[in-house]
Amino acid sequence: MRLSSRLLLLVVLASATASATPPVRAPDPERGRLLLRQFGCGGCHAIPGVPAAAGKVGPPLRGVARRAYLAGLLPNSRENMIRWIRAPRSIKPGTAMADMQVSEDQARDMVAYLYRAH
Amino acid sequence: MRTLAILASLVLAALLAGGLVLYAGWYDISATDPHLRPTFALLDFGMRRSVRQRGADIAAPALEGPGIAQRGAQLYRRHCEQCHGGPGVAPEPFALGMTPTPANLVHTAREWQPADLYWVIREGIKMTGMPAWRHRMSDDEMWATVAFLKAMTRMEPRQYQEAVGRPSPLPPGAGAGGEGLRSLPLPLGGGAAGEGPDPKRGRRAIHQYACLTCHEIPGLTGANAPVGPPLGGIARREMIAGTLRNTPQNMVRWLRSPQAVNPGSAMPDLGLGARDAADIAAFLATLD
Repeated sequence: MRLSSRLLLLVVLASATASATPPVRAPDPERGRLLLRQFGCGGCHAIPGVPAAAGKVGPPLRGVARRAYLAGLLPNSRENMIRWIRAPRSIKPGTAMADMQVSEDQARDMVAYLYRAH
Repeated sequence: MRTLAILASLVLAALLAGGLVLYAGWYDISATDPHLRPTFALLDFGMRRSVRQRGADIAAPALEGPGIAQRGAQLYRRHCEQCHGGPGVAPEPFALGMTPTPANLVHTAREWQPADLYWVIREGIKMTGMPAWRHRMSDDEMWATVAFLKAMTRMEPRQYQEAVGRPSPLPPGAGAGGEGLRSLPLPLGGGAAGEGPDPKRGRRAIHQYACLTCHEIPGLTGANAPVGPPLGGIARREMIAGTLRNTPQNMVRWLRSPQAVNPGSAMPDLGLGARDAADIAAFLATLD
């Protein structure tokens, strides 16, 4: 019992450290596609190529790379999309977009997928 | 010889038919309805090719130097914003009534080469209302305007207001309001008594508020530029602007006062009257 909780703590600490370090590998769009599914993004957004992603709460994400603004106010760039995914309420306090606790690396992969032409 | 005669008579018949359409006044030249889709596609394609062809030989100077974009910001506010608007700033009412509707330049600047933007500023575009500036601006000024257009694509609406030297009406950090703001009443009245919202009228009115310069709307002819989200399926979307439940009343409120709902939004207040807003909302509710 004590051992497993210690192990858990170690894992949590390790992942926290991992998310705090700058990215060392190239963004991976395919991994991004899996992450978009795992984080349930499709519950609110229609995302081409992501299984069961047909949500109708927020805007559809087909062709989002060409869109000029994110969230109605943020100029669209990879960096800003990462910011928006990671901390939507710090950018637009009243937004319905949830903070899903996505790490920098994970967001980078998601954005790589969303920026790939569909 | 025979084939030649047939070809010649076919050409003559086509010319006569075209002449008849023009002479009889059948082509609708009004600015209240858009061009027919084939006409729009043909003119738009021809315009792009013409600009690309002429911009190809122009070498753009360095546009990143200190102060260049700031200088362009003043020129933009003075000469461009009236017709094109800016992030969170609507074009003047007269420009909303123009056909073709002046383009959203954040979108244009994201997709066009600096030399092409410069060429259009310098030479203008026939039959669009875009004037030629070469006799009214120096070369440096026109390039400074291009530099600002490129810089504008990286600005939040609030930063745009600062760049053009307009004091922001909102304290920084004043994001979207909570429930209090959402329940603010907005007068709905206005329309003739006994008349419900008319989606057909809304479909025509939508061309008078530059909606297509920022949104793709299925079935409508115009820029359909992806500045904001596409409106296909908006009838079944649960939220508007990420903050409001999608109800007819909320859609009207958002269309009429986006800046009150989401301060700092790139969507400007476009001066929609109660009836136009209700009709446009009714039209949007048909897009599922």
